[in-house]
Amino acid sequence: MSAPGKPVAANIQFELSRWAVHPAIIFTLVFFIIPLVAMVIISFWQRIYGKLQASWTVANYEKFFGRDYLLEALYNSIEVTLLTLAISILLAYPLAYILAYKVPSRWQRFVLILTVLPFWTAYVVRSYSWLLIISENGILNVALIAIGLIDQPLEMAYGRGATVLGFVHFFTMLLTLTIYANLVQIKASYHKAAADLGANPLQIFFRITFPLSIPGVAVGAFITFVIAIGDYITPQILGGSTEVLVPQAIMLQIARAANFPMASVMSITLMIVVVIVYFIIGKYLKMDRI
Amino acid sequence: MIGHWKKNFLAVVYLVAALFFIYIPVVVLVVFSFQDGQLPVPPFNGPSLQWYEKMFSNDRLVESLINSVVVAIISSLLATVMGFLAAYGMARHDIRFRAGVRFILMAPLTVSYLIIGIGLLITLNIFGIPKSLLTVGLGHIVINLPLCFAIIYSQFGGHLRNIDWAARDLGASDFQTLTRVIAPVMKPSLFAAFCLSATLSWDEFIIAFLLSRFEVTLPVIIFEMLRAGLTPEVNAAGTMVFAISMVTVAIAAIVVSVNFGARK
Amino acid sequence: MGSLRNTIRRKVTRRSFVAGAAGFAAASAVLPKTGHTADELNVLVWCDHADKKLLAPFEAKHNIKINVKTYEGTGAAVSIIEQSSPGDWDVLVIDTPDVPMVVGKGLLAPMDESTLPLSDLLKPLTSAAFNHVNGVRYAVPEKFGYYGVAYNKEKVNPADMRSAQVMWNNKYKGRVAVYDYYFPTMQLIAISMGIKPDAISMNDLPKIREKLLAMKPNIKMVGDIVSVQNALVNGDVDMIINGAEFVVSGLMPTMPQLDWTIFDEGGLMWIQGLSVFKDSKKKKLAFDFVNHVLSPEGQGALATSECYWAMPANKKAVLSAAEKKILRWDEQAAFLGRSVPSTIGRADIDSEMLDIWTEFLQKK
Repeated sequence: MSAPGKPVAANIQFELSRWAVHPAIIFTLVFFIIPLVAMVIISFWQRIYGKLQASWTVANYEKFFGRDYLLEALYNSIEVTLLTLAISILLAYPLAYILAYKVPSRWQRFVLILTVLPFWTAYVVRSYSWLLIISENGILNVALIAIGLIDQPLEMAYGRGATVLGFVHFFTMLLTLTIYANLVQIKASYHKAAADLGANPLQIFFRITFPLSIPGVAVGAFITFVIAIGDYITPQILGGSTEVLVPQAIMLQIARAANFPMASVMSITLMIVVVIVYFIIGKYLKMDRI
Repeated sequence: MIGHWKKNFLAVVYLVAALFFIYIPVVVLVVFSFQDGQLPVPPFNGPSLQWYEKMFSNDRLVESLINSVVVAIISSLLATVMGFLAAYGMARHDIRFRAGVRFILMAPLTVSYLIIGIGLLITLNIFGIPKSLLTVGLGHIVINLPLCFAIIYSQFGGHLRNIDWAARDLGASDFQTLTRVIAPVMKPSLFAAFCLSATLSWDEFIIAFLLSRFEVTLPVIIFEMLRAGLTPEVNAAGTMVFAISMVTVAIAAIVVSVNFGARK
Repeated sequence: MGSLRNTIRRKVTRRSFVAGAAGFAAASAVLPKTGHTADELNVLVWCDHADKKLLAPFEAKHNIKINVKTYEGTGAAVSIIEQSSPGDWDVLVIDTPDVPMVVGKGLLAPMDESTLPLSDLLKPLTSAAFNHVNGVRYAVPEKFGYYGVAYNKEKVNPADMRSAQVMWNNKYKGRVAVYDYYFPTMQLIAISMGIKPDAISMNDLPKIREKLLAMKPNIKMVGDIVSVQNALVNGDVDMIINGAEFVVSGLMPTMPQLDWTIFDEGGLMWIQGLSVFKDSKKKKLAFDFVNHVLSPEGQGALATSECYWAMPANKKAVLSAAEKKILRWDEQAAFLGRSVPSTIGRADIDSEMLDIWTEFLQKK
């Protein structure tokens, strides 16, 4: 096939690197994009009397946005996620700062690994083990009563507070990692230069360190938002179903009623919320810098 | 050393308090996996290995453990290879629709696992494809491919382009350059990408729950155990999952630091 | 055009499927299968059937492996079946009042009564009403229990537990869990209002909804079996509405302060039945399994299964005296006398009930 005089190898060379991107792209198209398209299509169908019907209607959307208790799931999800985010950032930032600037450099790697290791606690039992801590016969109440701080157990389990606690625990570790990674990239010479110019430590922090660390916060915050708003187990176990978040509403539709159209509507709504958040904080996001 | 800590008293207090908060669920989980009694709640009745014995004599659990390992290793391998090839292709050529290609490759990172799982479930239903470990693995590649791509791509610096051209000038084919020159240089990040994917797949629940049938993965079995009865066996299983993840992470951390350390 | 489509298909197949499929196929080939068993039986069941002491003797005797898939709630089972292909499943355990609905979907095989130990089973359970469709038997009862209330005797007044009005009793504000199963809870409310569960119509739903939402201020949490058990054991709640023997019996040997009862207004009963799938390719083995579960030994194991205890359908079930006491075995005649079975409603009523339930969970 190749022209005389032209080495065959050149042809092969040309091919291989040109085609290197294709497996990943095609895989993503087939197993990610097509399912999302299928989901959008199904969201306009209906499940009537236990049968899926290609009826092309916006009835599912009308139902989701028209019924307070379903729409409220969306509000709840957004509120819980934002609350989680705010508390996690407040806890993680000082931790990352201490790791980056206060811990001696030869200890840094060790303390960092120590800090994020429980990130790998088995996902399914993470919430369950919080339940063993905060329930009325749990470790925390038993300990507080034993040292005489309280005489009646505190009611901490089941409810929004417990859900947020479970989330905050996980995302504090994640945010500490992304913020730390960003802080250590800020050159020490900037701080020194600012100090030489007469800036006090507070000024250095607010004028230099903090602004330069925003990308680290943004990346962590975005990942937190994506994972938290789509998480089913944490609210299901710790929240005690005293309120419903969107993932729980989705699972109710799938597990109890096999109502894929309704579950699709809710899933698409969640995705749209994430896209909006992406555009709000997008200018700080450099995903490939993680 | 001590002087340093004294000066930073508040920092030390904060660090210790944070570590306490971060570790308390792990400690409780592990401690009550050794509970000598029927319930994983206080009082702690003293150490016993009975729940570990029970766990390892549970055939379904042991089978699911093997399934989990196989799915994690194979899906991570494929994700790493595809991510590596994609990163190579992107770094090597100014391909058309560059931004678009990157966007598509990274897009799964912005979508919740639950939604990815439901999308795949709907697709399987439409095409009548039965659920199995294969479909679980495909789901795990979807979530891990963008991570592998991002990790590996971020390490494709200018020096690799030079190495690439040098190898080429010396007459190496694309394939030779890739396998004999680039892959060895990239080994630490390939390994890091593989280990991260493996731990994420190993511990992934919702996609495995939605897309599996008889043969399930360990997190699905643990979830079933959680719904089936309050028992320290769940603590034992959770402790084991954590321990295996930790070992993987530790190996990755050591390999990466040794390799990166050597280059400095 | 056709060739283009073929080319694309071939390319897509090559590039994306082959790598994945080959890898996984190779993997499943090397995967150790525990033992080299001749055959497998796929059973779709409530979690109480996953207990080794029930399955192991049958697996050993026939040298087979039983694949167990557990679900919670008839809707969930139907949802799983709808996502499967014909022939995937061999044995189904489902609440017998729902059997006609499943038969209506053409899923179950008729049963030969002469092969079943029907005379050993408790009379009220074998009623033709749930197990037969058009005079043909499709299911056989194996285990039953109630939806009522389970509680901690040390924390509540047991006398209060006898009335369904306890669901709205302010005395227990914030101390109540509800077992997360929507229609029995609403049927319990219906019973308290004097409406028979099987007579609930669309017109009754607004009234039931109102009463259900009125319960919410008392409710601390809503959850599946283990979540509510957890809450009771951990002291976060003192009673479980819509629970009974199935949530506490298994805990009672270690926690004797727990107990359960049914309401004086009337009990709401659940009855699990065994069925064989019409498309099963192993019908003989499936029917052998049915008989194994119905045998006195099988019944004893099932009644005291790890996941949850409840009453066996077989009068001859092997149970110890202590187990009989926990299961209130001697009171069953009286309990059965004032109980009615719970059944999933018509598709439209059921879907409306699920919506009301979601609203109930959501209510602040």
